[in-house]
Amino acid sequence: MGAPVLMEPSSEHSERTGPPKHRLISVIVPVVERADDLVELYHAFAGELEGRGEAHEFLFVFDGGFTPPPELAALSRERDGVRVLRFARTFGETAALRLGIERSKGEVILTLPAYFQVTPDGLHAMLEGLDAGADMVVASRSPRIDSWLNRLQSAAFHRMLAGATDRRFHDIACGVRLMRRPVAEALPLYGDLHRFIPALALREGYLVDEVPVRQHPQNVRTRVYGPGVYARRLLDIAAFFFLAKFTEKPLRFFGLVGSVFFLAGAVTSLVLLVERLGGRAIANRPLLLLAVLLVALGVQLMGLGLVGEIIVHLRAPHRRAYRVREQV
Amino acid sequence: MTLIARTTVDPVVPDLSVVAPLYNESENVAPLVAWILEALADYPGRFEVILVDDGSRDDTWQHVVAASADARVHGLRLGRNVGQTAAMMAGFDHARGRAVVSLDGDLQNDPRDIPALLAKLDEGYDLVCGWRQRRQDKFLLRKVPSWVANRIIRRLTGVPITDNGCSLKAYRRDLLDRIPLYAEQHRFIPALSASVGARITEMPVRHHARRFGESKYGISRTVKVLVDLFTLKMITTFRSRPLLGFGVAALPLVAGAALFTVMWVVAATQFSPTKATALVFPGAALLIAGAAFYLLMLGLVAEVAVSSERESANEIPTAWEVR
Repeated sequence: MGAPVLMEPSSEHSERTGPPKHRLISVIVPVVERADDLVELYHAFAGELEGRGEAHEFLFVFDGGFTPPPELAALSRERDGVRVLRFARTFGETAALRLGIERSKGEVILTLPAYFQVTPDGLHAMLEGLDAGADMVVASRSPRIDSWLNRLQSAAFHRMLAGATDRRFHDIACGVRLMRRPVAEALPLYGDLHRFIPALALREGYLVDEVPVRQHPQNVRTRVYGPGVYARRLLDIAAFFFLAKFTEKPLRFFGLVGSVFFLAGAVTSLVLLVERLGGRAIANRPLLLLAVLLVALGVQLMGLGLVGEIIVHLRAPHRRAYRVREQV
Repeated sequence: MTLIARTTVDPVVPDLSVVAPLYNESENVAPLVAWILEALADYPGRFEVILVDDGSRDDTWQHVVAASADARVHGLRLGRNVGQTAAMMAGFDHARGRAVVSLDGDLQNDPRDIPALLAKLDEGYDLVCGWRQRRQDKFLLRKVPSWVANRIIRRLTGVPITDNGCSLKAYRRDLLDRIPLYAEQHRFIPALSASVGARITEMPVRHHARRFGESKYGISRTVKVLVDLFTLKMITTFRSRPLLGFGVAALPLVAGAALFTVMWVVAATQFSPTKATALVFPGAALLIAGAAFYLLMLGLVAEVAVSSERESANEIPTAWEVR
């Protein structure tokens, strides 16, 4: 597993080849972090889609703390295909994407960051990937023209992620993703999982394609974050890793960690017992406390794992680990 | 994870469904289907064959599509490789027969045993397990671990089945609806079935050496199987009353805390106590008592989980009418 190759658009999906006549592409723009000139962004990407003869609608979802610029509001009054939604307080990017998916009507959904991340002409290759039969096509900024610091951050992030996914992605953080509606609706999105959308789709059993797209010159600047942001990213990866590996078998994880503690405690206790039988008093040795603490910790961790197993077992009648792609 | 989507392929409901999961078995598909159809040539009712392609990386699916030219053969292609248990579950979810037979897609099980399994099912059993008496596999890598695992499973679950790992089994539909399979639980089907009150028996079946393709098993599973088995034992015993289970688990800890308390009292009264003595023994007693208390609290959390999933917790066991 984990062959670092891009998935080829396979010929066996030829029955789905060719763009349908009247498909609508819903473009969802979550405004959660920073925003470039959104009207300019709209014209650039809408122009590209129109150039390809694609019908489109744009949904701008503003998180709490962001105010829609008056020009954009004017645009949405002027055109039916531009809608602006606003959260009353901060809910984050995942919630913004979910709201966009729920309120949009298109058969195809394109998520787009609120700033120029890739050049609009990259949509061409992405739409072709979808027409070739992929369920989701994600952009991979290539070549990266960022600062070396950001490239290093990105490389470290992907390196850590590689262990949790069946396939290696090259730019999972890129917010430009094209997908069919059923895929978007099937994604188990909550918390901060929007960062792992391609990996989630892959786990759901969908065909995910990654295409290289040119990075937009405006996207080039050194981004340095506070330590809190890095800590949150690490926790995101840990959460995703756990979900990917142990959702069905939590005790395998907690049992492993717990048994390490338990065994360490048991061995220490045994050593103390042997020494006691040899005549050395243990009552005044704090090592006994450590041994007991380790045993207690091990038991507690295994207990936690068992609670997890009970929850999984109870949910089992309602869940299926498989998705049927085709049926004959 | 998707919710169950049972789709009807044709309106005529069959009496028997044969389910075979396939993973990278391209050379075996056509012979397997031919063999099943031949073995069931004299079957009096309607039957269907459900081939489940578990995300194969070779051209297994093309062979399944070719085999589905026969109206009795259906194919399911899963989005990705999800493992044998989930693949079998996919087949079971789509099976419509009142009787369901599962078998391996590698030609090692012999479909000619199916009529005998069904006859046994008719005697009034819910589950008939195949028992590979003359198993044609590598001795050290496959047979010895399997023998050990089966003994442990038998001892721990108390279900007298010799060969839990044999995929060739016959089920009543009613039973399959009661045992939700997930993770890698297919080898515990007899134990899971027993936990819902099924009548289970076994009968010897033929077993053949692998002709094409490779075995997908390795010896590394053994530890995982043991962890899973322990889990299964805990869950089937305490499924509907977890607080009791955690209470039982807390007992040895309570005993440990009591022991340290006694040692503290003895040390404090019989010998000249030092400052450290006054700290170490009560400290140890408190730690262990704390862990016991924590387990009881966990048991309460588990009770909350069970009560919020009432319908699956209070599964009605299966039963049969006595005339």
